[in-house]
Amino acid sequence: MNKEKDGMKKEEFIKELKSALEIEDEDKEITLETNLRDLEEYDSLSVLAIIAMIDENFGKQIPSKDFAKVTTVKSLMDLIGKEYFK
Amino acid sequence: MGTKISNIEYYLPENVVTNDQLTKEFSDWSSEKIENKIGIKERHIVKENETALDLALKAGEKVLKDYNKDKIDFLLLCTQSPDYYLPTSACILQHKLGLRTNIGAFDYNLGCSGFVYGLALAKSLINSKIATSILLITSETYTKHIHPKDKSNRTIFGDAAAATIIEKSEEDQIGEFVFGTDGSGAKNLIVPNGGLRNRYNANAKEIDDGSGNIRTDNNLYMNGPEIFNFTIKAVPKVVSETLEKNNITLEDLDYIIFHQANKYMNEYLRKKINIPKEKFYLNLLHTGNTVSATIPIAIKDALDNKLIKKGDKVLLVGFGVGYSWGGTIITI
Repeated sequence: MNKEKDGMKKEEFIKELKSALEIEDEDKEITLETNLRDLEEYDSLSVLAIIAMIDENFGKQIPSKDFAKVTTVKSLMDLIGKEYFK
Repeated sequence: MGTKISNIEYYLPENVVTNDQLTKEFSDWSSEKIENKIGIKERHIVKENETALDLALKAGEKVLKDYNKDKIDFLLLCTQSPDYYLPTSACILQHKLGLRTNIGAFDYNLGCSGFVYGLALAKSLINSKIATSILLITSETYTKHIHPKDKSNRTIFGDAAAATIIEKSEEDQIGEFVFGTDGSGAKNLIVPNGGLRNRYNANAKEIDDGSGNIRTDNNLYMNGPEIFNFTIKAVPKVVSETLEKNNITLEDLDYIIFHQANKYMNEYLRKKINIPKEKFYLNLLHTGNTVSATIPIAIKDALDNKLIKKGDKVLLVGFGVGYSWGGTIITI
């Protein structure tokens, strides 16, 4: 599914991210300001899961050196590209 | 006239490292997580005095138990862990296996794509009438290069050797090949020191990657995310190109065997390419990623467990270090 044309809602993106990180607690709050590296679920496998999620939803590969700079959810969205979101 | 794979055997070193042993050393790791996500329960590891050549010898002896070794007229050894800079391990192996001296033998240096390349070499040697019966051995010991504190690589890789006999046959059972190479990815899976560009450095400093992995430049380095990016781009493409070149569709294939990198990556590739689960080999539970040995081990296991049978068309795809990749279709 490529969301390039109509863009993905940020709520939808956070849902995809939670699923990629296997955050099962529905009430656990993830916002644009959440630092991914502060999440207890975040480890080296999460990086692969996020790469897979981005490929699946946006058909994009993020170079690992850019990925290394990702902190918050918003910084990840900026890296994917603002044009992919509405 | 054609070529076929007539026999495969493999050998795993005796020493086993389980997930429980790893989680004792790396307290933030969990055995269940390793098994569920990466798909590995244990890996076989060579001892200090055991090399890829020793494993190759064991696998070779196993496959030659039921085959007249005097028929072998070419020996191909795929390894990135040679005993010496020179001579070539394949020459020593010819002698140790007691093969004829009027045969050809050489090593070639490839990793996870090595078995597919070996099949292509064997097929072309037979079709050009240079040889009739080829012993192809893929033997690897990446664990020799891994830093003891490198959690990720110690989890993923295991050592193994597989021995395959390829011979002349009535029907063509080894199909057409597609290859790929992209050396721009060399830095993402590498042992930086120890060759002639950067000599082994006894004082190499420890590098912490921030995810609980420590290594030096004398050790194996793998940039996992970048390798994943590479496979996402390369593997779907090599699958479709191999199908096209062999005039077959995914639906008409009986089975698909990829290089067994790790469960997470292979499962993602399966979904991305829309391969049905029941047609897709996925098993590194007791071996880990054994580099160039994973595909022949998979073929042998799939045969033994009746996942594939005579006449089946099986897609083989190898991909990894280099970057290097390749695909072909064999008929069992």
